[in-house]
Amino acid sequence: MAPLAKRRVAPALRPSLSVPDKRAPAARPRPRELWLAVHLPALMLDSLRDQLRALPGNPPVAAVDLERNGKVVRACDEEVRAAGVHTGMSVNSALALVPALHAVARDARRERQLLEAVARHGLHFTPRVSLEPPDDVLLEVRGSLRLFGGARQLCHRLEREIGEATGATVRFAITPSPLASAWFARMHAGERPVLVRSREELASRIAPLPLACTRWPEKVLQTLATMGVRTVGECLRLPRDGFARRFGANLLAMLDRATGRLAEPRPAFAAHEKFALRRDLEPEVDDTARLGLVLEPMLAELCRFLRERSRGVQAIEVQLRHRESPLTRVRLRFVQPVGAQPQRIGALLRERLARLELPEPVRNVRLVSGPLIDLHSDAPELFAHDRRESGENVPELIERLRARLGYEAVHGLACVAEHRPEAAWRAVEEPSPALRATSPAAAGEGEGEGEGARPLWLLEAPEPCDARHLEIEEGPECIETGWWDGHDVARDYYLARNRHGARLWVFRNRRETGPGGWYLHGWFA
Amino acid sequence: MAASVEELLQNNPARLWRAREQGAASAMPAGLPTGYAALDCCLPGQGWPRQGLIEILSDQRGIGELRLLMPALAQLCSRPRATVPGKARPAAVRGGGWVAWVSPPYTPYAPALASWGIDVARMLVVHGTGATEWAMDQALRSEACSAVLGWTNPRDMQALRRLQLAAEQSHSLAVLFRPLQAGLTSSPAVLRLALLGDRREGTQVRIVKSRGGRPATVSLGH
Repeated sequence: MAPLAKRRVAPALRPSLSVPDKRAPAARPRPRELWLAVHLPALMLDSLRDQLRALPGNPPVAAVDLERNGKVVRACDEEVRAAGVHTGMSVNSALALVPALHAVARDARRERQLLEAVARHGLHFTPRVSLEPPDDVLLEVRGSLRLFGGARQLCHRLEREIGEATGATVRFAITPSPLASAWFARMHAGERPVLVRSREELASRIAPLPLACTRWPEKVLQTLATMGVRTVGECLRLPRDGFARRFGANLLAMLDRATGRLAEPRPAFAAHEKFALRRDLEPEVDDTARLGLVLEPMLAELCRFLRERSRGVQAIEVQLRHRESPLTRVRLRFVQPVGAQPQRIGALLRERLARLELPEPVRNVRLVSGPLIDLHSDAPELFAHDRRESGENVPELIERLRARLGYEAVHGLACVAEHRPEAAWRAVEEPSPALRATSPAAAGEGEGEGEGARPLWLLEAPEPCDARHLEIEEGPECIETGWWDGHDVARDYYLARNRHGARLWVFRNRRETGPGGWYLHGWFA
Repeated sequence: MAASVEELLQNNPARLWRAREQGAASAMPAGLPTGYAALDCCLPGQGWPRQGLIEILSDQRGIGELRLLMPALAQLCSRPRATVPGKARPAAVRGGGWVAWVSPPYTPYAPALASWGIDVARMLVVHGTGATEWAMDQALRSEACSAVLGWTNPRDMQALRRLQLAAEQSHSLAVLFRPLQAGLTSSPAVLRLALLGDRREGTQVRIVKSRGGRPATVSLGH
């Protein structure tokens, strides 16, 4: 049936695929996008590299996974493959072929992490990076080629950078279509990356690729093979409607995307990074001083992480796990994002730990960062100066004070344009002189009143007082306001002096009748 | 061992001095003008000492205990006045420092501070119940503040010495407010002032101790 089908189909097919796309202009246009596919052929083993490195004697290894009928080899070394082991083989069969084989369980999470690490390196070269799980990363590099000295140079640098950071093996291909790039990269084993610059060239270069690069379901590939269709080119020669009917519109769309007939918008990869490090304590630690020692190298690790990314954090959390008791959390919040400053973070952490009471010994410690924040590069001033003038040490001081006294114990002050004396100021959680710039009205407040119109000490709440021993020096100043928010006041304020010579700010509440109604509200200290 | 007084004086010029030696300009570094001419005259260095602890002793509120410091604070921590033409300050008097208020008995009232020309946004209020000395010490050592004001009465000499040392090493104005009673015991502070309210003559400032200066009494006026 298959040859028949092929014979019948072949002539009819020609119009559908090999016809150049009518939408494409006649002159060879430069494609708007060039996609560099980074393929990780040994992702599974590369992701386990740390674990494998610890093995004594460098044995032959294979990554295994639990499938329907027991443990199956999913990836293996070149030398193991040479001995006849292939993916899908059961572990027992593989062990029979290679008795020294060391089987390691694959770790899908680590594979994903490695792929994301590669994508982050991609972000060094272009802002448009997209993941193609399980083992490809796509970078749009059209705009970056010139900057990095051409495709070959770019690939070279990328390979070196990824190799140094992760130790992963990579394969590259550059074409105008992201999908085609991935297909090329999967099949390509040579030294030099595949480079296809135009869509016309793509149509001819993609034809000889074996269909395995598409990663279509095994059943589809087998059916196509029985039809004698083994390469992408042969597949493209099939009639479009028949292909869509038989294998689904989905696969047809994939072919169209690979040849550039259909555009393929890619989801952008954004690096969501956080730092997290866990350390098991053996034996358990029950005093906070030793805990501080355990945390020191972890902090160093955090600082290295931040330095590498030139970023900072505004919060970190130390989670202490116990045998029975619930998790103990120590949260540190910084007034400003903190970069790689181990002393500063360490001092703060020690302060907090010193006051910590452990309900139980600690079994393991986890250090987690909050979201990473861009640090504005504060170039040190050239003609500096007195550090107190710049206030650069203030955030650190605030953090240190808060670490011991509590968050609410430290605040700043601000004027508020408001007639009620108790509402004419407020506490500011994050004291910063920048605030002044945003509220010029408040900054001007009090300017015209002259020194001494308001007391320097204000009582938290007015206290009833006896007006008989007071000598009124100035007043009254009537303040009648606030009726709109339910805290209305009607007061006559006086500047008075008591018999010790102290100057007081008193008022008479006009809402109260009778001899009382006098209150002390402040001291002219 | 017997060392002559002269020898000791020569070897420890910072810690030993003759009371009668009124600090001449050469001996004492220039202080920070207090803003009260009568007081400046009585202080070695013609102003607040820039290093070392200052103690202000008083039992009463509202007799000018803060007013005494306001001109100095306004110098250290003034609001930029670029917006007011003609009122521009000389370049030498640029103040952009921070002031820490550690455990104040009441709220420092922001509008009043602003009326003295102080930049309210650079005030740091710290409620350090039980840890006032520690918080002052931190503020002084951090070199973050131009002035550190604290309200506490350290019981032991040790705490006072620590504070004095921190104040000596930092270049911040360090002021400790204590009750009048504390004037009866000795203190390592470089300057100790007792404030006494007087209904008729106004607040009297008595210089209890002044390194390089002489005891004196000055009226602050009404």
